[in-house]
Amino acid sequence: MAAGPTVTIADGPAIPSGASPARRGEGWAACLAAAFVLPVAVAAGAEPEHPGAAVYRTHCQRCHGVDGTGTAQVPRALVGEQSVAQLARLIDETMPEDDPDAVGSEAARDVAEYVHGAFYSPLARARTRPPRVELSRLTVRQHRHVVADLVGGFAGDLPGLDGERGLEGSYHKGRSFDRTQRVFERIDPLVRFDFGTEGPDPESFEPGRFAIRWRGSVIPPDTGLHEFVVRTEHAVRLYVNQRGDAERPLIDAWVKSGDDTEYRGTTMLLGGRPHGLVLEFSKANQGVDNPAKERPTRATIELLWRRPGGTLETVPQRCLIPREAPPTLVLSTPFPPDDRSTGSVRGTDVSPEWLAAVTAAAIETADHVGADVDRLARTRRHADERPRKLREFARAFAERACGGPLDDQARQRLVERPLEGVDADAGLRRSLLAVLSSPRFLFRLGGDEAAEPSAAGQAVAGRLALGLWDSLPDRELREAAARGQLATPEQVRRQAERMLGDPRGRAKLRDTLVAWLRLDQAEVPEKDPARFPEFTVEVAADLRTSLEIQLDDILWGGPTADFRRLFTDDRLPLNGRLAPLYGIDLPPGADFRRTRPDDGHRAGLLTHPYLMSQLAYRGGTSPIHRGVFLVRSVLGNVLRPPPEAIAPLAPDLHPGLSTRQRVELQTSPATCRTCHAAINPLGFSLEAYDAIGRYRPTATPDGVPVDDSGAYQPRHGPAVAFRGARELGEMVAASDDAAETFVRAMFHGLVQQPLAAFGPDLAAELGRSFREQGYDIRRLAVDIMVVAAAGPPATAAVSSAGAP
Amino acid sequence: MSDGRERLARRELLGRLGVGGAVLPFLGNLPSLAHAAAAGPKQRLVIVFSPDGTVRKNFWPAAGSFTAPGDSASPAALPPILAPLEPFRDRLLTLKGVCNKIRGDGDGHMRGIGCLLTGVELFPGNIQGGSDTPAGWSSGPSIDQQIRAHLQARPDTATRFGSLEFGVLVPERADTWTRMIYAGPNRPVAPIDDPYRMFARLYGQARDREALSSVLDDVVDDLRAVAAAVPAADRRILEEHAALVRGLETELAAQRAAAAHPVPVLEPGILEDNDRMPQISRMQIELVVAALAADFTRVASLQYTNSVGQARMKWLGVDEGQHDLSHEPNGNEAAQEKLTKINTWYAGEIAHLARRLAETPEPDGSGSLLDHTTILWTNELGEGNSHTRNDIPWVLVGGGLGFTTGRALEFPGVPHNRFLLSLAHAFGVTGLERFGNPDFCADGPLSGLA
Repeated sequence: MAAGPTVTIADGPAIPSGASPARRGEGWAACLAAAFVLPVAVAAGAEPEHPGAAVYRTHCQRCHGVDGTGTAQVPRALVGEQSVAQLARLIDETMPEDDPDAVGSEAARDVAEYVHGAFYSPLARARTRPPRVELSRLTVRQHRHVVADLVGGFAGDLPGLDGERGLEGSYHKGRSFDRTQRVFERIDPLVRFDFGTEGPDPESFEPGRFAIRWRGSVIPPDTGLHEFVVRTEHAVRLYVNQRGDAERPLIDAWVKSGDDTEYRGTTMLLGGRPHGLVLEFSKANQGVDNPAKERPTRATIELLWRRPGGTLETVPQRCLIPREAPPTLVLSTPFPPDDRSTGSVRGTDVSPEWLAAVTAAAIETADHVGADVDRLARTRRHADERPRKLREFARAFAERACGGPLDDQARQRLVERPLEGVDADAGLRRSLLAVLSSPRFLFRLGGDEAAEPSAAGQAVAGRLALGLWDSLPDRELREAAARGQLATPEQVRRQAERMLGDPRGRAKLRDTLVAWLRLDQAEVPEKDPARFPEFTVEVAADLRTSLEIQLDDILWGGPTADFRRLFTDDRLPLNGRLAPLYGIDLPPGADFRRTRPDDGHRAGLLTHPYLMSQLAYRGGTSPIHRGVFLVRSVLGNVLRPPPEAIAPLAPDLHPGLSTRQRVELQTSPATCRTCHAAINPLGFSLEAYDAIGRYRPTATPDGVPVDDSGAYQPRHGPAVAFRGARELGEMVAASDDAAETFVRAMFHGLVQQPLAAFGPDLAAELGRSFREQGYDIRRLAVDIMVVAAAGPPATAAVSSAGAP
Repeated sequence: MSDGRERLARRELLGRLGVGGAVLPFLGNLPSLAHAAAAGPKQRLVIVFSPDGTVRKNFWPAAGSFTAPGDSASPAALPPILAPLEPFRDRLLTLKGVCNKIRGDGDGHMRGIGCLLTGVELFPGNIQGGSDTPAGWSSGPSIDQQIRAHLQARPDTATRFGSLEFGVLVPERADTWTRMIYAGPNRPVAPIDDPYRMFARLYGQARDREALSSVLDDVVDDLRAVAAAVPAADRRILEEHAALVRGLETELAAQRAAAAHPVPVLEPGILEDNDRMPQISRMQIELVVAALAADFTRVASLQYTNSVGQARMKWLGVDEGQHDLSHEPNGNEAAQEKLTKINTWYAGEIAHLARRLAETPEPDGSGSLLDHTTILWTNELGEGNSHTRNDIPWVLVGGGLGFTTGRALEFPGVPHNRFLLSLAHAFGVTGLERFGNPDFCADGPLSGLA
C-alpha cells in the first residue's frame, strides 16, 4: 500500500450543499499542483480528546444530554447557527444556568469549540448525520416526466418500441387524403424523396396531383428544443406532438407562397419518449379544384431536424416508429437547475425561482388540460353529464398526482373546495392549480403504509415509477397495486422488468449511464481546425450519436446487457461521414453500422472517439483528463480538487518531450504525486488515441512508438500493470472497484437517495449479485428497484432535533 | 405559417415566468405600460371587415350629394345601408373612388382581402382561385401592423398587446381568402373568432391570479398537515416551501389591487355556428370595447367571416349564403334587397360598436372612447357580381384620427395605397412615404381628409 495513493470510495455521509466539487475537467486539466487524496477514516480514534469534551460532561451534559440530544429538562437538541466566539460568550455569561460562574471564559471557549465541531453547527450535523432518505421534491427531470404522464395517462398509452422503425406512409392520388383515393401504404424508413416530375409511380398517380401522409412517432434522444425542417417545393404540413384536429401545425406551408422551399418550426420534446408526428404533403394546387392549371413539376421532400446542440440532419430511422403516440404535455416552462453538489441530481432545496417555475408550470398544465379537457375527461362540450365528468376528472387527477387516495381533509382542500361555487371548468382549473402547488404532488412523501394496506402497494408503485421512469405509475402498475400484486419481490421484479423495457425505462437507463460517464452536461467538443480540419461540428454531433448507438447496442442488443462490454467491445458504430476519419471504408451517405476499426484496438467506450475528444485538449491529448475520468468516474476513487489551477506546460517549450514526458515532468513534485501517481498511469494507457480518438500508436512523424504502459492500485489486492487500451479495458472489466462504482452510480441515478440509507450491507450484496449474474446491467437495475421499491428500512427514532 | 407573433409572445411570457427575482410569474395587468403623463391624446383604430362587396345603389350617396373637400356640410340623408349610423352622422366619413389597384397572382377575392390593407401583390403560390393564376400570401405587412410597430416602439403609446385581431365566424382554414392582417411578407395573422378564447387571452392572467388566490390558503393548510406527518428532519424544506407560498399570496394580493378594472361578462356556452352570428358579434364587440378601455391595445381589427364569406342571415329572413347572393346580377331585385338587408345588418353592428364606444368614458376623463377612436369599416370588393375593387366602401366613424367627419367624399379613382398612407400619417408615422406597391404612392397621402 505504501507505494500507492491512499484512497477511499465515494459514498460517505452527505456532503453539505455548498461544498460543491469542481465541475468535471475544470481545474483538473489545468491543475497539476498539490492535489491530494482524502485520507481514509479521518476519525479513527487515535486523536486525543478535545479539552472541551470534559467540560461538557461535567457542566452541560446533565441538561443537554449526551452529544446535545436533550433531556427531560431541556427537551431540545443543542443545535444552532452561532459561531464559536458567539457561543463562547453566551456560555461564559449564562451557563450553567444555575451557576454561570462555574465555567470560566477559557473553559467556555473550549466547550464552545467542542460543541460547535461535534454536533452544534450545521456542518457538524451534516458530518454526524447517518445517511438517511431525505424528503425530496421532484427534480426537474421528474417534474417534466410526471406532468407528461399525469396528463398523458388520461389520453392513452404510449406505443412500444418493438418492431420496424420508420414512418407509415400513405400514398393518395388526388390532392388530399380521401380514403377512397389511397393507392398504397408502406413503412418508409425516413422521409427523403425525389419523385422527379413523374411522381411516385406514373402508373398509379397523375404526376401533377398526389398526396402523401406520413404518420408515426419521433423518439428524440434528448430533452430540449428541437427544430424541425421540411424541404419541399410543394404544400406541406407538419404536426409534432399535436392534435391535428385542434391545433395549428408546427409547420404550416399548406399555402405555398413565394419561392420558399424550406420551412422550420421549433418545439420542446422529452428525451426517450415517442411523440406523435404527422407529415402531410400535397403536390396539387389547393383552393378551387382545377386540374387544368396544374403542371407536372419536380417534387422532392425531406424531413430534417436539429437536436439540442446538434446539427441539421435527416430525421434518422432509429428515431422513428410507425405508430402514433397521443400528444404529450411537454412543459416549456424553464426550471432552475437541480442541486448536483453530491454528484448526482437531488431535489433537496427550494427557492423563489423554483416556486415561480412550479407555479408557471401549474398554469401551463392547467392551460393544456383546459384546452383538451373534453377528450381527457371523456365527455363532450355541451353534454349534460359534462360537469359531473369534469369533477370526476379532477378527483382522479388529484389522486394520481399525489400518488394514491387522499384523506378526507386533503381531498376537501385540493379538490372539493376548489370545485365549489364556480362553473365546472373554472372549478377544475382551481383544483388543478391547488394539486400542482401541493406538497403532496411536489414532494415524494410516501403514504401512511402501516395504517393503510392499499397504500403500501401504491407506495411501491410510486417508487418503481419514479426510479425507473422518473415519473408516475402507468395504468398497468396502478392496477397491479390496487389488486395487491406488488406484495412480493417477485411481483415487483416482474413489473420492474416490464417497465425497464418501456421507452421511459430505456431513456432513464441510458441517461443514468450518460451521467455516470459525466457526459450529461458535456459541451460538444471543439478542436483546433489547423490540426484537426476534419473535426467539424457535424463530425462531433455524429460521434455523440455513435456513442448513443453503442450504448443502446450494449444495453438492448443482446439477451443480457454485459457491463464488461463497455470496456472490451472492439466494435464502433460509424456512418459514411465518420468512416474515413477512423479508417473504415463506407459509402459517403451510409447510415450508422457496427465496424471493427484499427484491427481490434478498440476498448468499448474507453476509446470511443466522442469520449476521447471530450477528454482531450483542442490541440492534443490530455492524459490527466483521461486519468481523472478513470480514477474517479470508472474506478470510483475520491480525489480532492487541486488547490490551485496550473496551466499545462506548453509543448513548444519542451520540443523534445512526448506528452507523457511533459506531464510526468510537471507533476513530479511530491505534493502532486499523491494524486498523480494514480491519475497519470491510467491516463497514459490511452495515449495511442489522439485528441479526436483516432488510433495513433506512433506519436510523431518519425514513428516513435507511444509509451502506453499503465498501472492501477486497486482498493484491495496487488497493483496491476498493463499496456494500452485493450489491456486497460480488460483490467477495468475484471475490476471489483469498477463494478462497485457502477453499482453505486446506478443506485444513485435510479433512486436518487444515498445507498447507505438502505442498509450497511446493501452495496456489497448488490455488487456480489451483479458479478454472479454475469454483470447484467438490466438485471442490476431491476435488483436495485426491487430493493428500493420496498422503501428504506424503518429508521429508528429519528433524531429529536428540531422537534417543536 | 401560423401566427408567429403569438407564438413569440408566448415564449417571451414563459421566459419571463421562469426567471427573475419576483416570486410571482405574472406580467402586470396594469391599464397600460405607459406612464400617466403620456404626451398627447390617445389615438385608436378599429378596422372592421365584411365581405362580398356592397349594393352600390343603396350604399353610396346620390351623385352630387358628396361634400366638396373643405366643405363640412352633412349630406342631406344617409343612404339606406348606412341608416343605422344615423345617430353618428356627424362622426361619419364615407370615401368613394378609393380603389384597390393591385394586380398580379390570385383571383379578385384573394387580392381583394389580401391586398386590402397591405397594398401590395400576393406571392405566387398554390392556392387556385375561381379565375386567374394561383397565389399565396401577401408579400408585405398590413397597415394596422405598421401602425402597431410605430406605437409599440414608443413607451408612451406601447400597450400590452400592441394589436388585437378579432373575428366572427372565420372558417377553420388558413388560406388567402381567410386572412386580412399580415405581420410581414408571408406572415398572415389569424383572427381569434372564439370570444371565449379571446377572453382567455385578455383576462387569463387575472383569472389565474383569482384561481391561485382562492386555493393558496388550502395549499398552506395542507402543507402544515403534511409537515406534521413527516420526520422532524424533513420539516425544514416544507417550512421553506410554506414561506415561499405565503410570499406568493402577498404578491398576488398586491397585483390584484393594482390591476382592478372591469372585466366583461360573457354569456357562457354560445356555439360557434352560423345562427349565433349576432350573439358572437356582440360578444366580440364587448371585448373590443373592454380591451380599448383597459388600454390593452390601440389597434384592433374585427373580421366578419372571410372573403367569399357565406353567412346565412336567417335572422333577417335571408336563407341564402351571402356570397351566392352577391353573384346575382343587379337586375335581380330580390337579391339586391337581401344583400341590402345583409349590409344594413353589418352597418348596425358598426353602429353598435360606435354606441358602446360613445357610452364608455375615456379613462382620463377627456370625453368618450369614440372621441379618440376611429372605426374603419371596409370590404374586399366594391361590388360582388363584378368583383370590382374600384370604389371600395370605406366608412369611418369616430374621432381617433382627427379627420373631419360628417362628410361623404368622392375621389377620382385614386389608389387605396394613398388612403393607407393617410391612416399611418394620422398616427404620426409621417416619415412613411410609400406603403405597399410604391407605384401607387407617388402622390402621397390623400388630401382633404383632415
